[in-house]
Amino acid sequence: MQKTTFSGVATTFIVSYAFWILLTWSFAAQELIAGAVVSLGVSLFSSRFFIHDHTFWLLNPIRLLKGLYYSLVTFIIELVKANIDMAKRCFGGCKNVNPGIVKIPVELDSDYAQNILANSITLTPGTMTMEITEEEGQIYYYIHWIDVQAPGGKVAGDMIKGNLEKGIRRIWK
Amino acid sequence: MTMTLRIIIDVFIAIGAIFALAGTIGIIKMPDTFCRMQASTCITTMGVLGVCIGALLYSIFELHSPATAVKVVVIAALIFTTNPVGAHALAKGAYQNGIRPEKRMVVDELRRDFDE
Amino acid sequence: MIDLVIFSVLFAALALVNLYRFVKGPTAPDRMCAVDATDIMISLAMVLFSLYSGRGIYLDISIISAMLGIINTMLIGRYLDRRRWVYHDDDSKNNN
Repeated sequence: MQKTTFSGVATTFIVSYAFWILLTWSFAAQELIAGAVVSLGVSLFSSRFFIHDHTFWLLNPIRLLKGLYYSLVTFIIELVKANIDMAKRCFGGCKNVNPGIVKIPVELDSDYAQNILANSITLTPGTMTMEITEEEGQIYYYIHWIDVQAPGGKVAGDMIKGNLEKGIRRIWK
Repeated sequence: MTMTLRIIIDVFIAIGAIFALAGTIGIIKMPDTFCRMQASTCITTMGVLGVCIGALLYSIFELHSPATAVKVVVIAALIFTTNPVGAHALAKGAYQNGIRPEKRMVVDELRRDFDE
Repeated sequence: MIDLVIFSVLFAALALVNLYRFVKGPTAPDRMCAVDATDIMISLAMVLFSLYSGRGIYLDISIISAMLGIINTMLIGRYLDRRRWVYHDDDSKNNN
């Protein structure tokens, strides 16, 4: 369990207060004060579960713009391609599936970057992350793939990850 | 409002409905558990994306209410960020609980490395 | 142009079709997967019905429904997870 630090509390407070304003969408003084009190309490109790290190890393506006570009352009293009492929399989009678679990290497260091890559792989239909392990300093993902075209390793990794890893490495080095 | 905008909105929502139909067919007809989970991802990505883009355009240009638009964006972002976490937990739990597909997998490196 | 309530009814009908897998599914993860998809489609139907009827309360109900759905899925997933695997030595320190 991590200790509660001031920067962790501040980051969680900013995020949860923005979420409160988005949900209520009224700018009366009473609602703003109630939101501030509630999100201060929430961030005091729960910031140690969420934020561990590099607390202000993503609140830099340039990285925020890069993250927005990643999630609105790079990720959406991969998503639409994979969705069309999956819909063809479903409308074609669900017969040409070829499932398997492969193991691919990943070159990302930060915990946040690995989290985002695993979530992106799960969100694209056809691939799903099942387990993350670390062997001798190298991160490996175990991925359930609905149409196995190559046994595990670097080739399968390039086919699964596509542009996603490059886009994430632009945000987190 | 103009006719063109309504047609664009209807096209977006219809794309969402088509992909939701594909996901439903996949959930009903796919041969094993993990393939069914893959098919349900089709609903939670492209169905949500199409419907929420259509609803966003409708609430901005026809209802003229920013609160509705913001809530639609919040729903889309919430589903997109929280759904893969549940999918990870469910898939890992299913595999560890001993559920194996009936049809033989092509490669199964998870079983090779971890199963005794 | 098609009325939005027609799409809303369509999504609700697809959610009902999904419940077939919930009734028939041989194992627990099958049922949970079908319930997850049903939940999200009911949320989408509620968004469309809110735009049709012009009442904002359905959007709030939709947000709460999506949140509760993800909590359900994670709960069942963690319950099924029984740690039957044998981990390597360096991994066992991280996982326990």
